[in-house]
Amino acid sequence: MLDKPASALRLRERLLDSERLMEETGCYDGITELTLRNQDPLKFETLHTKLRAYCVSAREMARRISASPGVREVGEMVVAIYTPEGDAIALSNGIMVHVHTMSRFIKWMIKNNYEENPRIREGDIFANNDAFIGTVQVPDVMDVVPIFHEGTLVGWAGAVCHELEAGGITPGGDVCLAQERFTEGLFVCAEKIGENDEIRRDYVIRCERNLRMPIYWVLDEKAKVASCIDMRESVKQLISEIGLDYWVKVSKEFIEEGRRAQLARTRQLTVPGIYRGHTFYGHVTAGKPGFQLLGDPDWLYNIPIEMEITTDGKITMDFEGTQPWGYHSMNCTPAGMDGGMFVTLTQHMNFEGLVNDGAWMATELKLPHGTWTNPDNEMVATATSWALLLPAYGVFQRLLSRGFIARGFVEEAFVGQVNSPMIEMGGESQYGTPFGMAHFECAAAGSGALAIKDGLDTAYVGWNPESDMGNIEVWEQSMPMVYIGRSIVPNSGGAGKYRGGCSFVSTWLINKTSHLRLHTSEHSSRVFDNGGMCGGYPAPTCQKHRAVRNSNIHELAAKGEPLAHAPGIDPHVSDYEKNIGGDHVVVEGPYITSPHKSGDIFSHSYNGGGGYGDVLERDPIKTAWDVENGFLTREAADQVFGIVLKDDADGYPVADIDATVKRRAEMRKQRLARAIPVSDWIARERGRVEKADFAPEVKKMYASAIKLSSRFTRDFSDFWNVDARSIFTPGAKS
Amino acid sequence: MTSYSKEVIRDLAAGKLPWLQTRRIMSAYKDDDRFFKIVAVYQDRVAWKDPILLPVSDHLFICQSGDERITRCECGHSFGDYRRNWKLNAAINVRNTEEALREIYPNSDLPDPQWMEIREFICPQCGTLHEVEAAAPGYPIVHDFEPDLEGFYREWLGKPL
Repeated sequence: MLDKPASALRLRERLLDSERLMEETGCYDGITELTLRNQDPLKFETLHTKLRAYCVSAREMARRISASPGVREVGEMVVAIYTPEGDAIALSNGIMVHVHTMSRFIKWMIKNNYEENPRIREGDIFANNDAFIGTVQVPDVMDVVPIFHEGTLVGWAGAVCHELEAGGITPGGDVCLAQERFTEGLFVCAEKIGENDEIRRDYVIRCERNLRMPIYWVLDEKAKVASCIDMRESVKQLISEIGLDYWVKVSKEFIEEGRRAQLARTRQLTVPGIYRGHTFYGHVTAGKPGFQLLGDPDWLYNIPIEMEITTDGKITMDFEGTQPWGYHSMNCTPAGMDGGMFVTLTQHMNFEGLVNDGAWMATELKLPHGTWTNPDNEMVATATSWALLLPAYGVFQRLLSRGFIARGFVEEAFVGQVNSPMIEMGGESQYGTPFGMAHFECAAAGSGALAIKDGLDTAYVGWNPESDMGNIEVWEQSMPMVYIGRSIVPNSGGAGKYRGGCSFVSTWLINKTSHLRLHTSEHSSRVFDNGGMCGGYPAPTCQKHRAVRNSNIHELAAKGEPLAHAPGIDPHVSDYEKNIGGDHVVVEGPYITSPHKSGDIFSHSYNGGGGYGDVLERDPIKTAWDVENGFLTREAADQVFGIVLKDDADGYPVADIDATVKRRAEMRKQRLARAIPVSDWIARERGRVEKADFAPEVKKMYASAIKLSSRFTRDFSDFWNVDARSIFTPGAKS
Repeated sequence: MTSYSKEVIRDLAAGKLPWLQTRRIMSAYKDDDRFFKIVAVYQDRVAWKDPILLPVSDHLFICQSGDERITRCECGHSFGDYRRNWKLNAAINVRNTEEALREIYPNSDLPDPQWMEIREFICPQCGTLHEVEAAAPGYPIVHDFEPDLEGFYREWLGKPL
């Protein structure tokens, strides 16, 4: 082992030295042996538990300082403790995505000589929300403070909150209309925002004058700084107890142990090999007010992923073949891609033992330059990078799950996360004041199914393992809308032996405002942006928005007439259209339109998860329960699952098992009668491929993938036995 | 070391284990003998004798069939050499019209069949739906999984294949 005391090297040299040691030894910071762990494992584990307790406690305390329902109610915050070089040692629960993005932020400051200028001193506070430095998107604002012990930098404490308002071209944090960096809102680019444990007044003034709802951002800053100081003081106290040298060594052993644990876990739970999957995202903005024609308005994104697990347990994810970055807000930086990887690993594999940056070090991401995963232009917008990140890491979850199934750990197989479209708003509040916010009830979508049970209903998003939709009453305090409905969306989970978790839909009456801007983001159109597994179907994730302008709801209420509280189950005519008078609006994809006012009605539905297994194997009794409780319609039970229901004496649905067995046998026959050999289908489809007989957006998708990826071109050409380049990019140089 | 009976693993794989017991298994340290135990469970389930080498889906297994290693359906149908994409030897039903998509999504907004289709990969013998792909028209069929079978047995299981 390279047994090093607290280093006198400058930080930048220490960081480069640490990276060199990792390169040379394959172990974090050159730690080839876990000496302290071997000497006294109990002390080792106890110390890590203490660090984790510092983090959890600091986060819970800080949430009480925040004014944001996103942080207070839904827990959009995470805190962590880092080594001097910026590697995470321990972290709290919460939005763990940012544990590694903060690591990038610290390393960026070190590599950019912050020691020289603006200097790193005790009591300093640094903030960042620039995704090219180290975060996911503009609303993810992070603060870090250095931890000094007797004049030596011994670590960092860091905290992130997702801000509900970022001051961009559209209100909210996930600024859906941002098409370049310059419209995303207030940027803080690795800036020293405070000294002597105090946030600078001029920084606060800048926030106050550039945000629609500065109280959220500013009080979140105070919450984060409080949590960092709390962790810093705890760590200093700990060092005074265990000694500086022990701290320096043990903090790094924690990370190396985390790295080894991740490799061991991969070897324990999976099977080595190559895993492949893909997903898609439809971006439809043509004709929507506000979108500048900087590029094509409608775009179909393909997201192919090839994952390799080697026999040493390393996981590599390769995004080759995906689409280029674009003039929209869905681009992602490598920091964001890291964050997605980290939060997925911590939920699916690294949930036991020492959760820290070691897990990330046992993996590798291949992010092709010029694609949305790694833009070759730092002016691009990333405000809604989750739009593509979530479908992508849903694929990752399915790929890992394939490995769990092969290894026999069926209880860990999980069809994965889905997109969680978000509502953002601003304008005049119900109090007559300017306001802006993101509505975070989206933090409770349906999850994908498991290989042994249905998915979670309204209880999971990939980006926050503490998923929570928040209380209606709390949201109503913050916006000029009141709920007239919040209910399960029937059939919103993908069908399968085990169905995906269902989502919910909310319906609001716009109230006490003359000017309410409502926008939505992370909302895929025209395609499924998730998938099923092992015969399960994808969840229906291309739902439209429904609104009623100038509704007669107050008249209906005065007369005691029935209202509509959800869109209903007729895809052609909603319950709003059936029951409520006014100007009915149906909008595909992101909701970008003119402002609403009191008396209008707006609805927004969230996504369910994909299904697992053959639908014809679903339990009929469970299905009857699902129908009774609104998770499935009778129509779906019969038509999709082949389950015959009848009513009991009280009118509740019960499964007719004998009739179901017969119906399913018939459906299986129909399946076979309808299907053709894949070889016949390929022969038939080849003609269509040769003629490029596809929608313009599909052709454009192929042309873009072919331009960026020789592997995609080769795979496409080999599969169809065609020359993909001459079909989709005629005249282009090869 | 954590270990469960074959009966427990059988019920777990069948989704029949009570949730509280399942939950405890999910929270506990993993059982290192799981792989061979679950293979034994699957071997009991299938009607054929070829030794299962690796489960690859809900009803698909790589097995040793004479000198060959093939992907086989639980019903016995062979999809050929395990290194080739089994889907190429399946039957397929493609849903690329609103009418065909509506059969699966009776009460929801539908994707645009010009942008997306559903491909159902079916066992031509028993009609089991083994996999569903949601893909843009023209997208090559994906080869989901190419296991390193030799490396897995040799280096991770420490047993001959």
